[in-house]
Amino acid sequence: MTNVAFTVNGDSVQIDVEDRTLLVDALRDKLQLTGTHVGCDTSQCGCCTIRLNSQAVKSCTVLAVQAQGAEITTIEGVADDDQLHPVQAAFSACHGLQCGYCTPGMIMATIELLSTNPHPTDQEIREGLSGNLCRCTGYLNIESAVRAAQTEMAASHRNEGLISTGQKS
Amino acid sequence: MTLLRHEDRRLITGSGKFTADWNLEGQIHASIVRSDRAHAEIMSIDIEVARSVAGVVAVYTAADVTASGFSPIPAGPDIVGAHGEVIIKNAMPLLAIDRVRFVGQAVAMVVAISEDIAHDAAELVEVDYRELAPIASTEQALTQNAEQLHINASSNLSLVYESGDSKKVEQAFATADRTTTLTMESQRLCGAPLEPRAALVDYNATTDVTTVYTPTQGLLGMRAALAGITGLQASDIEIVTEDVGGSFGLRGGPGSEHGLLVLAAQQLKRPVKWVARRSELFIGEWHGRALTLTGSVALDKDDQITALRFDDTVDLGAYNCYFGGFIGTNNLSVTMGGAYQIPALYMQSTLVYTNKVPVTAYRGAGRPDIAFAIERLIDQAAAEHQLDAVEFRKKNLISKEAFPYMTANGTEYDCGDFSAVLDKALDLANYSSFSERRKAASLQRKIRGIGVGYYVEKSGAGGAPKDQVSCKFSGDGTLTLFAVTGPSGQGHETSFAQIVGEGLGISVSQISYQAGDAKQQLIGNGTGGSRSLYGVGSAFKLLIAAVIEKAKPYAAVALSVDVDDIAFDGGRFHDRSATNSIHLNELVSQVAGEEEHPFNVTAETTTGANYPNGCHVAECELDPDTGVVEIVAYAAVDDLGNVINPELVRGQVHGGVVQGAGQAFTEAVVYDDQAQLLSGSFLDYAMPRAGLVQSMVTDTHAVPTALNELGSKGVGESGCSGSLPALSNAMMDILRQLGAGPMDMPYTPYRVWQHLQDNKA
Repeated sequence: MTNVAFTVNGDSVQIDVEDRTLLVDALRDKLQLTGTHVGCDTSQCGCCTIRLNSQAVKSCTVLAVQAQGAEITTIEGVADDDQLHPVQAAFSACHGLQCGYCTPGMIMATIELLSTNPHPTDQEIREGLSGNLCRCTGYLNIESAVRAAQTEMAASHRNEGLISTGQKS
Repeated sequence: MTLLRHEDRRLITGSGKFTADWNLEGQIHASIVRSDRAHAEIMSIDIEVARSVAGVVAVYTAADVTASGFSPIPAGPDIVGAHGEVIIKNAMPLLAIDRVRFVGQAVAMVVAISEDIAHDAAELVEVDYRELAPIASTEQALTQNAEQLHINASSNLSLVYESGDSKKVEQAFATADRTTTLTMESQRLCGAPLEPRAALVDYNATTDVTTVYTPTQGLLGMRAALAGITGLQASDIEIVTEDVGGSFGLRGGPGSEHGLLVLAAQQLKRPVKWVARRSELFIGEWHGRALTLTGSVALDKDDQITALRFDDTVDLGAYNCYFGGFIGTNNLSVTMGGAYQIPALYMQSTLVYTNKVPVTAYRGAGRPDIAFAIERLIDQAAAEHQLDAVEFRKKNLISKEAFPYMTANGTEYDCGDFSAVLDKALDLANYSSFSERRKAASLQRKIRGIGVGYYVEKSGAGGAPKDQVSCKFSGDGTLTLFAVTGPSGQGHETSFAQIVGEGLGISVSQISYQAGDAKQQLIGNGTGGSRSLYGVGSAFKLLIAAVIEKAKPYAAVALSVDVDDIAFDGGRFHDRSATNSIHLNELVSQVAGEEEHPFNVTAETTTGANYPNGCHVAECELDPDTGVVEIVAYAAVDDLGNVINPELVRGQVHGGVVQGAGQAFTEAVVYDDQAQLLSGSFLDYAMPRAGLVQSMVTDTHAVPTALNELGSKGVGESGCSGSLPALSNAMMDILRQLGAGPMDMPYTPYRVWQHLQDNKA
């Protein structure tokens, strides 16, 4: 067993893990963060996508011990208390989920996509989601959700810009 | 942005509860040892090394299952064959007895204090096999001297089934002006819901109740089948299902693991958990499709279809499991004439054992396959006889005036307007201007094809005698609805609340839905056959009236008028003069007390099958240098009867169409000639990803059915029934332009390119 310390959704945690324990299993089994799902064992489905040091990773491709000192965000840490993240809200509003199993990973991948590329083209959206499988929706509504979230986030950035400009004057 | 569905908040915040998310105090973990041979005798199983591993609690083999008296997996209904014989059934034992018959068959189970220890120890179970000749295809199974898989099934035949009138069809072919015959494969698929199969079983020795946490499509089906396997009373089994990560037909009943976990939980007196790894699901969870369909059509000199015949071969896999036998028989025959007025129909299907994973229902379960086969045959006949494929269809469609229409093999389609649906779809697809788009594509060195697919499918009547629902009012204004049908993404919580909310004039935010609360003691069907909305939704429609009737006397007292003078409208009870009124919500709280709320009622209905249908039009473009085919346009018009929630319906159509596109372009279960699986992970089994279908326009054309209270038809399976033929016909259109003959799915770049090289005009 190895002791690992990292931050999850803003909380500092310390857990003992086997060397072989995958980060996804540590999150689910040791920290009860069961919103991160496991859908395969070959890093193909993307259900376990989280943000690790502000980058999206499939948490089944990372050993828990590699997370030493890292800052991790899981789906449970995306909303600001009751205030949903625009990507979360857009997935529901656009009917971008049915069974919901792939959804946490899809949302984390979308947050990554929009943080690195705030104005993705349709093709870039598809590429951004290419690491995530969904069996229910056929993806079209997921793509709509990404576009809706993008619009929402761009609008709120503009508003923030206006406010800060106003403060300066 | 407002949330669309009741179920969404928990699912987008990570607080949904899927089976693997459950953990119980003191739980231990199971790992299944699976056969790596396709066909072999088990000479011995050495479990001693595994059992001696620190942390291992127990190791089970078939001997333990036999000693417990547990039964095998249900082998499905007693289907009657062509000569009155009943299907030969070979049920799959929970653990292989003496012989393994497919790669992945469960052979032993290890239970340990951790999942890792269980998996490690499972590797140490030594099985000594004596290999037998494997049967890797139905052709091989049917050859003389083929190894026989089951002692009771000579020639590896489970059943030869027929439907329709062979003599009449023969006569029509004998006098036909022209005929066309085509053989098509609807290849074996993995349903692959993204939540892996999983179970957690807890046996309470004090109450003698066994609690099973697991994904299901409906609690009663799971409970009844598990009772059958374990010998327990159904009332002693409690099934707990909250969120389900997709089902698609695979989750109607238990797998081996469920039975084994019950056995272990009872004997070890500890909760036992098992969560499948994806790689074991490719070999351990049911497969779907696996049909070879040969269709022949006879035409008279006026291009009228005079007869249709199908000869189908069904690859059952190694055992009869659940609906496996039903797919290639009833489900293929029931709508075998499609949308066409054909005076003579006959089909025969041969159900064959092979050394492969057993097959059962997967989205549509035979209906997409037959829709695909008819529509490809129609296009092939049109091409062979120089007919316009659309005009040929129009000439043969069942006319609106002909409903109710009895098909030549005895299926009554209650209603429809096929010509209107076809026309609307052609409009939506801009069919008439296709030649311009084809020309534009050719300038880019692309070959563009168009395909039309008209499907008619039978939505399920359901196995239960009726669908019962109930409701529970609380003084705080909330209303809980109950039924047994379990959702797995369809949005039951949203649509049932919508139906009842609209009917009672109360906000949907007050209403929740709960599937399978045992205390309600309801009966009904699980989710399957696209039937939950119209079956259970219809019962909820009746429940509205029952609530109003129950509440009227209380409203009369509250308004001090005679009960006969009470009317209900938009959530309010009022007297005839409409001067005084009271809202249902207010009445609910006034009446609420310690006792059960008097407005709690039950309702029930029996709904037969109905016939959703639709026309899908696809356009695809081939890059002839690479074999890459892109789906560049897709239009779908469906007659789903009355639509309750358009967003959810569109979601079902999208999902179904893309699952069909997955079968058409990417997915295939591949076995080698030794019946070893080659497509055993998402690296090898190509699932549809974002971008496979890039856009879709959808519309509906409602011809409400009178067969249920809502006038709605099924939608869950319609998408793939439309997309398989539309996409395939677009692909065949491309091949025809290049002078190449037809090919089978999946149309992957490699297969298409190779087909073109082999069939250069």
